[in-house]
Amino acid sequence: MEYKGITREWDTLKKDAMERAKNAAPYVKEGKIVDAKDTVALLEAVIKPFDKVNIEGNNQKQADFLAKCLCQVDPAKVHDLHMVQSVLTLPEHLDVFEKGIAKKLDMSFSGPQAGRIAQFLQEGKLELGAIHTYLELYGRYFVDLTPRVALVAATMADKKGNLFTGFSTEDTPAIVEATKFRQGIVIAQVNEIVDELPRVDIPGDWVDYVVQSPKPFYIEPLFTRDPALITDAQVLKGMMAIKGIYGEYEVTSLNHGIGFDTAAIELLLPTYGEELGLKGKICRNFILNPHPTLIPAIETGWVESVHCFGGELGMEDYVAARSDIFFVGPDGSMRSNRAFSQTAGHYAIDMFIGGTLQIDPYGNSSTATANRVAGFGGAPNMGCDPKGRRHSSGAWLKCGEEYALNSELWGPVRRGKRLVVQLAETFREKLAPGFVEELDAFALAKNANLSIEPVMIYGDDLTHIITEEGIAYLPKCRNMEERTAAIRGIAGFTEVGMKADPKETKRLRELGIIKTPADLGIDMSRANRSMLAAKNVHDLVVWSKGLYNPPAKFRNW
Amino acid sequence: MKSWTELANSSFFDANARERALGLVDKDTFTEFLSPIDRYCSPHLPVLGAAVEFDDGTVTGVGLIGKHPVFVVSMEGKFIGGAIGEVNGGKMVATIRLALKAAAAIKEQHPDDYAARRPLVAISFETGGVRLHEANAGLLAHAEVMDAFQDCRGIVPIVSVVGSKVGCFGGMGFVAAATDVIVMNEEGRIGLTGPEVIEQEMGKDEFDASNKALVYRTTGAKHKYIIQDCNYLVEDKIGDFHNVLAEVADIPMDEIEKMRRIGSLKLVQEQQGLVKLVGDMQPKDSMDLWKHFGNENPAELPELSTAEFLKVVKRRERA
Amino acid sequence: MALQVLEFEFKSEATQTIAKEWSHLGVTGSGDLEVLFEKKDLGGNVKAKVVTPVKGFDAVWEKMIEKFVNDTGVGNISIEINDDNATPIVVYMRLRQALAEATAKEAE
Repeated sequence: MEYKGITREWDTLKKDAMERAKNAAPYVKEGKIVDAKDTVALLEAVIKPFDKVNIEGNNQKQADFLAKCLCQVDPAKVHDLHMVQSVLTLPEHLDVFEKGIAKKLDMSFSGPQAGRIAQFLQEGKLELGAIHTYLELYGRYFVDLTPRVALVAATMADKKGNLFTGFSTEDTPAIVEATKFRQGIVIAQVNEIVDELPRVDIPGDWVDYVVQSPKPFYIEPLFTRDPALITDAQVLKGMMAIKGIYGEYEVTSLNHGIGFDTAAIELLLPTYGEELGLKGKICRNFILNPHPTLIPAIETGWVESVHCFGGELGMEDYVAARSDIFFVGPDGSMRSNRAFSQTAGHYAIDMFIGGTLQIDPYGNSSTATANRVAGFGGAPNMGCDPKGRRHSSGAWLKCGEEYALNSELWGPVRRGKRLVVQLAETFREKLAPGFVEELDAFALAKNANLSIEPVMIYGDDLTHIITEEGIAYLPKCRNMEERTAAIRGIAGFTEVGMKADPKETKRLRELGIIKTPADLGIDMSRANRSMLAAKNVHDLVVWSKGLYNPPAKFRNW
Repeated sequence: MKSWTELANSSFFDANARERALGLVDKDTFTEFLSPIDRYCSPHLPVLGAAVEFDDGTVTGVGLIGKHPVFVVSMEGKFIGGAIGEVNGGKMVATIRLALKAAAAIKEQHPDDYAARRPLVAISFETGGVRLHEANAGLLAHAEVMDAFQDCRGIVPIVSVVGSKVGCFGGMGFVAAATDVIVMNEEGRIGLTGPEVIEQEMGKDEFDASNKALVYRTTGAKHKYIIQDCNYLVEDKIGDFHNVLAEVADIPMDEIEKMRRIGSLKLVQEQQGLVKLVGDMQPKDSMDLWKHFGNENPAELPELSTAEFLKVVKRRERA
Repeated sequence: MALQVLEFEFKSEATQTIAKEWSHLGVTGSGDLEVLFEKKDLGGNVKAKVVTPVKGFDAVWEKMIEKFVNDTGVGNISIEINDDNATPIVVYMRLRQALAEATAKEAE
């Protein structure tokens, strides 16, 4: 046997990185520090055309200064970049396409820039690879979307390039690890350069350059919901969720999607949940950002643990003072980590519950609208039945037992099912229907020329829908016909609901596939804001014993 | 509707205009003028396709506190931001004028017991001022209310009650300033130009309307209390507002006069002194003024509960 | 441009009317409505009048109020609603709350 491999150089990436480092050398001052004013020149030195580049655009923290600088590079020198980043929030994230600096995009979520992405796609300014879920994109960082250059954000650095990302660690470890260990280049913008860090979140030898940005990185308090804006209808749905799902299945580990619906549930635990005697039986372990609305439930002893994707402005001191609950470092401050939190959200929890904009008669649910390419971030990672799960729990098994197709599809094997719950109002503000015969995702796929419809949660993963009309227990349905009837039965006066056959709805109620508030024993007249453990942001501060320090935009005092 | 006892312990901020009106006077004494069954809606809004309300967004009526008839005007901020149009403006004017008539009648019938029976007007402001859909009528109502105040001067105390979401802005900010006594809870705000309009006209650097802490430091009750634009600061309970009204109802008219901010040469001079102070010191933030008036640690004041705040706060000295 | 005025009449078994001559609840806030119930001899029926800036939801209003009438068995009342973009759940909850208010004995 002759072992005859190909002949090639095996360290071209390393040599290329060294050459780029040489180009950048004139801009490096002490240690790894580069002056803010030299940042554009630094980027031109280390980035080459067609590179895969990651701008750390997280759900919350943004490498905004580096994003601005990338927009200022000379498109004659730096062009056709392939941007690989989880979130596009800032205008600069799209400006690089407008200026011809970048060409291709692989992403997860785009929030405020969603309309421009759709527009750029149509104008041919941007080629879209795929809209991923977070975990999917992080996975591809280690397969075929490894960044050549990563532009990340940290709270502090020292001269050796060690980074402190602390409370707002988010995506940084995943990006840096993928980039650096494939000989890529890591540039960090930091708020502050110090002699000694509180702790090291990213080791200095994984970081090539450090820039102190003129202003601290931009961060948005995305997960703060003012209890004053929770409506009576949200209280009603929250009571239905707690009684009809949390209590019914005794859900102990879970994620709450962003929004007022779940904020209402958090604030009902110490009141309505207490009244139902559910403390200790439900809601013990959360995968969740530090929601201020969770404070009353934590303070009344409901919650055992919370692991966070990211931080939330104003919650720093509260979280630090509750180290039994949150994941806090030896320095006393929390460390978030989106990759681990998403992994936990995918495999280790029993329920995902969140809001949506549209549900179709098959149970497909999506927040996509016809002219915005937004993506869904992490919701699909948690809003699905993880087929790789191999540990059991009460809620998971009960949902599996109720699954009408279990013997048909699983045979004699005992299996469970993740609870995936969508909260929807039959009509939202301005009377936009929550149930539609065809999701706007189809129009978007057509408009933006996407190969698949952007569906947030696939119908076969969805287990429960809660509307003000009732809860549909979808796993109990024996076939698609029954499933559609169950969805129509709780879709109220929408076009989907108007097609419900009252006789069939009645039959499904008798079978327990649909439960109305009355079936659940919920007195509708009690469903009002007085049920909430906190009525406004100030109440949350009081609950936190003054530890929660809300951002100025939430301070009504 | 909650019972009176429940209302007394309820948040003023969270209550609606009718609940506030009922709770401001003694138990079971409120009679509404032009109540919903009278269906006195705006004639202008339907033409413009805008939603209407049976009371046109203002609850008016009379009740008692002890033997004092209390004439109540209570604005509803949820209906078109509490804006003042023809019908609700007219209801406001008529209610104040009725208090004046009642005062004359009581003086005649109970000359010996007048002090204990002297009427009072309580206006719960929740408004941004003129309703643009019917601006002329709304403006006229502002003028007529001011006129009625002048006629009440020295006879019937007019009390402003401010403590709800919308606050008291626009032309009604002037109107509130022209009343005798101002009672606020911590959530209450009084101003002329609303925060969003200032930002729109002067830019975000001058005034960031999304910075609610800044908005409250500038227009909120604690600031108003420190600079003496607010006479009483109370907890956010309807019952606490009721208690202050009961106290004011018994205060002699010449003492009431001293609680005013404008309306005499001396008071105008006092206001001009304040204008000069601000011109001289060029404060960057209300907190600079708070410090000037003797509050060593102004940054902590917004964080204090109303009770704690009242214990430690130093206020501007009245001239 | 002008406000929509919708009028309906529903047949009812008239098992429940209201205690008071009239009763009122709610505020015409954005996304909300006010309800005025008045006791009337309508041979058991229920009359409803809806004033709303929203166009194109006549059938939905009819079905919503019909559902309320069927669910509660009210009769011999007129229902007047001033609406400002309320969603069906808000309409239904306010109607239920208004009925509770109208049938409640005076507190205390």
